[in-house]
Amino acid sequence: MSTHTSAATAGGAGSLLSGLEIRRIDWSRLRVLAGLISPLLLLVVWALAVRAHWFTEQILVPPAAVLDAFEEVWDSGELPDGLKISLYRLAAGFALGSLSGLALGTLLATSRQAQIYIGPTFNALRQVPTLALTPMFILIFGIGETLKIAIILKATLFPVAIATVEAVRDIPRAYLEVGRALRLPPWTQFRRILFPASVPPILTGVRIALGRSWMVLVAVELLAADTGIGQLMEIGRQMLRIDIVMVGVIVTGLIGFSLDRGLRLLEWALLPWKRP
Amino acid sequence: MPVLKSLRGWLLPVLLLCLWQYTSQRDAAHAYAFVPLEQVWAALLERLGDGDLLRNLAGSLLRTSLGLLIGVVLGTGVGALMATSGIALTLINPVYQSIRQVPLLGLTPLLGLWLGNGETAKIFIIALASFYPMVLNTYEGLRNVDFRYREVGRVYGFGRALLFRRVLLPASLPSLFTGLQQAVPLAWIAAVGGELLFNVGAGLGNLMMQAETGARMDVIVVCTASITVLGILMSYLTSLAAAHALRWRQ
Amino acid sequence: MTAMKNFVCWVALACGLMAGIASTETSAADPQTIRIAAVAMQVAGKPGYMAAAQYVSEDQTLLAELEKRHVRLEWIPISPTSVAALVNEDFTSHRIDFAFYGDLPSVILNASGFQTRLVAPGNLGNNVYLVVPPTSTAKSIADLKGKRIALHRGRPWEVSFGKLVASNGLKVTDFKIVNLNPQAGASALVAGSVDAFFTLDDAYLLSDRNVGRIIWSSHRAPVDWKMRAELWGTREFVEQHPDLTQLLVNSELRAVAWISQEQNRSRYIKDLADRYGYPQSVVQRDSDNANISWKDYWSPLYTPSVTQHYEAVVAYARSANLIRSDVDVKTLIVPTFVREGLKQLSLDHYWVAQATP
Repeated sequence: MSTHTSAATAGGAGSLLSGLEIRRIDWSRLRVLAGLISPLLLLVVWALAVRAHWFTEQILVPPAAVLDAFEEVWDSGELPDGLKISLYRLAAGFALGSLSGLALGTLLATSRQAQIYIGPTFNALRQVPTLALTPMFILIFGIGETLKIAIILKATLFPVAIATVEAVRDIPRAYLEVGRALRLPPWTQFRRILFPASVPPILTGVRIALGRSWMVLVAVELLAADTGIGQLMEIGRQMLRIDIVMVGVIVTGLIGFSLDRGLRLLEWALLPWKRP
Repeated sequence: MPVLKSLRGWLLPVLLLCLWQYTSQRDAAHAYAFVPLEQVWAALLERLGDGDLLRNLAGSLLRTSLGLLIGVVLGTGVGALMATSGIALTLINPVYQSIRQVPLLGLTPLLGLWLGNGETAKIFIIALASFYPMVLNTYEGLRNVDFRYREVGRVYGFGRALLFRRVLLPASLPSLFTGLQQAVPLAWIAAVGGELLFNVGAGLGNLMMQAETGARMDVIVVCTASITVLGILMSYLTSLAAAHALRWRQ
Repeated sequence: MTAMKNFVCWVALACGLMAGIASTETSAADPQTIRIAAVAMQVAGKPGYMAAAQYVSEDQTLLAELEKRHVRLEWIPISPTSVAALVNEDFTSHRIDFAFYGDLPSVILNASGFQTRLVAPGNLGNNVYLVVPPTSTAKSIADLKGKRIALHRGRPWEVSFGKLVASNGLKVTDFKIVNLNPQAGASALVAGSVDAFFTLDDAYLLSDRNVGRIIWSSHRAPVDWKMRAELWGTREFVEQHPDLTQLLVNSELRAVAWISQEQNRSRYIKDLADRYGYPQSVVQRDSDNANISWKDYWSPLYTPSVTQHYEAVVAYARSANLIRSDVDVKTLIVPTFVREGLKQLSLDHYWVAQATP
């Protein structure tokens, strides 16, 4: 939802432009600062609420306790290890899922036969909520890495495949005809026509799939895992260490946020023509 | 032959079911996980028979509807607020963006502590899940109203309230319904997830947990299938509602 | 601006709806309601509570007494999946006044600063089991050293596991403990993801279907190794309303006295099996303790073994880093209600304190 301030374009008298430029820079910096107001406000309210004893300390954990807990699980290695494992699972499952999603999507978009034979099953399976599959998957795959990667695969494959199908279908026929008319070699056709035309919606689909996969992974780790950040939160809950739970909540939120921003940055870098 | 043609889509599912049935025959451990299909059917009849399935289904549906209602109303309200007031946008947006990234079910322990582990917490999670897409789509919908419509409103001398009711709201209705269509499946997933992680109650997720205790894979399959079917139904009904509400858009 | 007012109205409506739902649940600290949590299975829509709790919930005498004092009794069923966390959270957020639940979670709660009191002991304990896949060659816990064992942490039977392990000269850290709730643990065992599974009598469900083999159970172990569950009350409630606490304890004593009679044994087992949706034979085998009489099994007396049991729980919890500070067991134990109750019900000679078997 962030609006990009458009870069100053040429035109206008020199002195007028420099005046406008200065104003624009100030405005964007102000916006960044303004964006920090409410989180800071929340933090202050949190600390005050704890100080005023509106809730007992076990229910509303003081910010200081959360920091201490963070130090504790960081130093003991539980947090770094848990993060490493969770992120590895996410990466593996996501890579597998998006690649197969891309392949399957392209297949479904281009091959009539595939649509007829695979289409209905695809549409039925994609409606099955990933989380509802967890008990079944546990029985089938056990609780090892296979389970988590299988779940992430399911969560990623379908959104990416659908985004691919739509993207490929939406490539204007005119573009394809131009490529054919100019007798371009297939690689050039792909690089200069198909890729730029389809990548933006696919990337958006990939970004959404990543967010969903992260959610699903944490949920599965809460339900059935021996390691990982979700497991760290679950053990914290069982030991009534709400401060550890809060550390987990904040860390998973930050990671989700970074993943989202990271992919947006990738979009921005890969698609220079899309920049405002 | 047109009949044979339409049957081709069934080939893959039938093959998969045969594969399932074959795996279930291999040994006891496999029969445990890949429960024979006739057992699944028997479990379905059994659960329908003693009313268990319907009771839990109703429970899940009721919960989801309540959560959806709250989440959609709040989401639309907040989204509209952010679209019309710059101050609201600056204040709410950062918080919204960061909380949105926290995996919903990861909030379970906190919600369990703050709201108890019963119905309130489950409905809250459902409301939260439907809140996010509604805020986003309401905001975008209102912001992207064609400026020409606003112009027309201004030409007619509409005040802010009238402008909103007669111009902005109808123009952003398609976005609102897109938001609703996104919210419904998310709410349903949150409902199931919440039932899996919170306490006892009537719900398909709870039925699944019970089945897991007794290692009744057949009941688990029945539950998963029911959850899927219901999800499809709800999405379908929502799209029907959207089509009806937006019928003036040919 | 009427537009803004419209939003505020809608938002207020939604908030009101949420608040309405929240208030229909347990209302905070209303002295006219006693809120009790107990482990329950939901079968056919009705919650069936564990052991004596069910009979307390059906006790007309108790309900009549409470009505006289204009007090309501509210039961909160707790899913067996995750009793420890759920009950502790409910206690901490002042949503319940009493709970029928286990030893380790109550120690964890008290260690966190929230104080509860043991007002009525439960039976001598539930049995615990070590299950392996049918194809496994392991014959004892020693064979499983270094292997993966599914064990739900923070649950009472973790202490039993600690005792089993210690008696074999091993430490809990000698094993790879996989923290799974009992449902996931069962699935993991069958799917081969873990080499063993440590749990309660749901172990029979697996062995009866030939997807697991029980290689050890606390039937053949010292009585102290079983996991205990008792009636716990918040310190606040117990101190402020000793009369109501006494009524509750009396009801529990009546229930336990009834259950402990030999002629009611099979009826009790059938009831429990029906409530939990378990086969009767499972409950039968689980309650078959060879070296303890049925009557003594249900003895609610505060023998030194109770204190010793809890001291062992605290010691284990400290060593396993489940708690960060010690808990003084003596402050947890409040024998006055049982003593008084037995006298009032003329049961004070019914049970005789047994030496620790």
